[in-house]
Amino acid sequence: MTALDATQGAINEGLLGKTFEDERGTSLWQGAFRRLRRNPSAIIGAAIVAMLVLIAVFAPLLAPYEPATSEWIDQVTPSSVPGPSPEHPLGLDSFGSDMLTQLIYGARQTLVIGIVSTMIGVIGGAVLGVLAGGLGGWWDTGVMRFVDILLSIPSLLLAVSIAAVLGRTPWAIMIAIGIAQVPIFARLLRGSMLGQRGQDYVLAASSLGLRQRRIVMSHVLPNSLGPLIVQATLVLATATIEVAALSYLGLGQPDPAVAEWGRMLVKAQDRLQSDPRLAIMPGICMAVTALGFTLFGEALREALDPKSRR
Amino acid sequence: MSDATLTKGRLRAAVDREQNLLEVDNLSVTFARKGSRPVHAVDGVSFEVRPGQVVGIVGESGSGKSVTSLAVMGLLPSRGVTTTGQIRYRGTDLLGAGAKTLNDLRGREIAMVFQDPMSSLNPVVPVGVQVTEVLLRHSDVSRAEAKAEAEELLRRCGIPDPRRRLKEYPHQMSGGMRQRALIAIALACKPALLICDEPTTALDVTIQAQVLELLKELVADLDTAMIMITHDLGVVAGLCDFVNVMYSGRVVESASRQELFAHPRHRYTEGLLASIPRLDSPRGEPLRPIRGTPRDVISWSQACAFAPRCDHADDACATPDLALLVDGPGDHRMRCVHPAPLPGAEPDPPADVTGGAKR
Amino acid sequence: MSGDGNLLEVTGLQVHFPIKQGIVFDRTVGHVRAVDGVDLSVARGQTYGLVGESGCGKSTLGRALLRLEEPTAGSVIFDGVDVRALKPEPLRQLRRRMQMVFQDPLSSLNPRQSVESLLVEPLSVHGLSAQDAEEYGRDSAKAHLAKAAAMLEVVGLPRSALSRYPHEFSGGQRQRIGIARAMVLNPDLVIADEPVSALDVSVQAQVINLLEDLQELLGLTYLVIAHDLAVVRHISDTVGVMYLGRLVEEAPSDDLYERPLHPYTIALMSAIPIPDPEVEDHRERILLRGDLPSPANPPSGCRFHTRCPYRQPTRCDTEVPELRVIPTLGEGRRVACHWAEEIAAGTVGVADPDLVVEPVR
Repeated sequence: MTALDATQGAINEGLLGKTFEDERGTSLWQGAFRRLRRNPSAIIGAAIVAMLVLIAVFAPLLAPYEPATSEWIDQVTPSSVPGPSPEHPLGLDSFGSDMLTQLIYGARQTLVIGIVSTMIGVIGGAVLGVLAGGLGGWWDTGVMRFVDILLSIPSLLLAVSIAAVLGRTPWAIMIAIGIAQVPIFARLLRGSMLGQRGQDYVLAASSLGLRQRRIVMSHVLPNSLGPLIVQATLVLATATIEVAALSYLGLGQPDPAVAEWGRMLVKAQDRLQSDPRLAIMPGICMAVTALGFTLFGEALREALDPKSRR
Repeated sequence: MSDATLTKGRLRAAVDREQNLLEVDNLSVTFARKGSRPVHAVDGVSFEVRPGQVVGIVGESGSGKSVTSLAVMGLLPSRGVTTTGQIRYRGTDLLGAGAKTLNDLRGREIAMVFQDPMSSLNPVVPVGVQVTEVLLRHSDVSRAEAKAEAEELLRRCGIPDPRRRLKEYPHQMSGGMRQRALIAIALACKPALLICDEPTTALDVTIQAQVLELLKELVADLDTAMIMITHDLGVVAGLCDFVNVMYSGRVVESASRQELFAHPRHRYTEGLLASIPRLDSPRGEPLRPIRGTPRDVISWSQACAFAPRCDHADDACATPDLALLVDGPGDHRMRCVHPAPLPGAEPDPPADVTGGAKR
Repeated sequence: MSGDGNLLEVTGLQVHFPIKQGIVFDRTVGHVRAVDGVDLSVARGQTYGLVGESGCGKSTLGRALLRLEEPTAGSVIFDGVDVRALKPEPLRQLRRRMQMVFQDPLSSLNPRQSVESLLVEPLSVHGLSAQDAEEYGRDSAKAHLAKAAAMLEVVGLPRSALSRYPHEFSGGQRQRIGIARAMVLNPDLVIADEPVSALDVSVQAQVINLLEDLQELLGLTYLVIAHDLAVVRHISDTVGVMYLGRLVEEAPSDDLYERPLHPYTIALMSAIPIPDPEVEDHRERILLRGDLPSPANPPSGCRFHTRCPYRQPTRCDTEVPELRVIPTLGEGRRVACHWAEEIAAGTVGVADPDLVVEPVR
């Protein structure tokens, strides 16, 4: 079979111009996934995130000790805290707990709070965004003015206020951070939907006699989610830091037995001169986590961007 | 027309009319991005432009015509792009030239008019400044002189009330006027060669007629050679002296304008001309399209790239690297194993159904 | 359901878009008169071609007929039904009989929908048409799939295209999918908005032929909107020329191209490049002055008078010419020009010699 015949056959198939290997069609999601696989930042970011998840899930197996114990408090003096040793690879913290254990269990808190609060933000923002972008008119105006009000308050301040009202529970932090993120997602989704609504395929759906609700939910919304997903991964990165900030301010998890990176920072404050290790370790953990989410989010953005598609 | 003000102080070096102004010799441009197969946008293109001549490059999407013009101007990105071959402007190889040489040439000797006037003009700079900028860069005029000249240029390009327009921004002008401003900028220093890449595609047909008429006049007055890149054969028929037809990165046919339209020999050109609905042909007959799409190609290194779509293709067309040969009056060249016969010769029957690729 | 006659009757159609200004409350400070009083009718089984340049309102007109844009005045009667008066639900049901093919094959298909989903969706909303139900059986996923596959075959694409996504096809193929989608419900009227202008030249002819074949196969009535006069001439029976929101001339296809009567049509014809150097060198061309006026602020009197090469000192800038039949110039032709008879007779010519490009030889 000559090259001529092969291409002639493909023309009759009507499908020359795409690779021969594909049997089934590749949806945009699949195409994005393939691009993601080849992107080094995505792989690094995903690896970091995966590692974090594994550590969080398997904390009891990985940590050398129980998290809540302050058994070695007798080793801690006002002027120094024991550093790394064979029994305690990262040393102790100022309350006499094993540093490594605290960090490992702290990953759990960080991950849970980060993910839950981002989910709250995404879902809340998505609902508002769909109302504004899908219904338009007075809904749009009303929702957007509400969002503007939320945005006019600095997000940290907003989170602090909500957390203060809700009391010192872990849920308080998650809800507070989540609500502070809602305006961003609402705006993003609304903008994305408005952009899609101007496209011809929406007009085509209308001309086919589809109902408005179906057009918005089945056509406009799926095409508008891209930016939302990317933003969610990036927000996860900042959420971890905001959790630490709130803990630092004394809000959030009241139970001193539960390990949490932000609180570790608080505890390390007094000892900054003598044992900076106490602050640096949780700080590095937070930075690496944020980096992982950010790398992944940026790579995701590139993969989903239709303009970078050939 | 020779307007004294327009030629003051900047007569370009007299052009040797015997020598080719521009020679493109086996130009190849390959785009290779990480993770995807290399694309041979331009795959061995050669053509010449004589001084004062209007040369047309005709092709559809994927033919490589725009990339060719960008290569001549040196405007291709440096990363991910491999360019080989030679582009000789008055003997100087442009591909090997340094940035300074190219910058001196651009605007002064070679200028370009692009397709989309909105994105080709800087939206935050007044039009007048964009014109005077070119004048000031390439000649010794004072600012005041440049401004006066810019006004004259705009007037010459058919923009009414040019003094006011100097201060206007591109978005305040209509599409046709912006394109005229672009032409004014391109011709400000009276270049020897003007490259127009689909200059009227984005314009309405009546505006297109005005702009093409303007280009015709200016090119004749200034004795500027022009390369007109377009997909519209009608534009080429009214404007160009010599035409090159490109397909899948190579020139497949080249001839003088009369010869090309009177006797299109390459099957692609023939098919293209036959498939266009014309105002002056009888109605009622279905059009005769070319099968397939411009993306249905095979590599020139294996066979004729057009063969999959050609009704006259057979196994002989699977010759690697077909040559562009002269086969007609007036330097009419084609890259075809079975070109359409000249009138008077035996008609060439379509390839045998059993033998080859015809369906 | 009326018998023979006009499938579509449009009277006095207007589509005005308000121009809003203001910081808190948007005040309406003016209107863009995209369509400003159009009367036309399309007979069953015929093709009406609507031509004009950008800003003339032809695309808006096409959308207004389907109420994808809401007309601000006038009436649209489709097969005896007053389209403007319909409530949302009956309108939605009427949509199955009037379909649209869009210009840009890339943006008119949902990038996340497979071809199968694209074609089956209208069927799942409206159900198979009566004829199709006979052939494919009652509405069911299987019947819909069969119809979708058959439709693909009719437009020249293989069945394997069903599982693929729009971005995997070329422009011409996408346009075929768009056409298949419009035809899958067996509509009566298809409005094609610039169906080939986004396609490569060598592919345009394929799609034009396809549209013609489908018209014959399915008994369709077409309204084709385009700026390419050659394409419109080829495919249409009657052609209407629009300028700044109004029809300036309407005639059977052959008559229009043989002898245009309105100055705008004359200029338009002479502006089109013809791929034949002999013709190009020997034709006389009439150029237009200036640019299109803003549709928000159209000129007084005849809208074309600011650019008209044949403009006369009287009537042109004060009286709006009506689209009238001139019996001496042909039945079935309508022209909106005060001086049409004189121009045709040659007693009125182009005043400014700069606007006439003489033949080269």
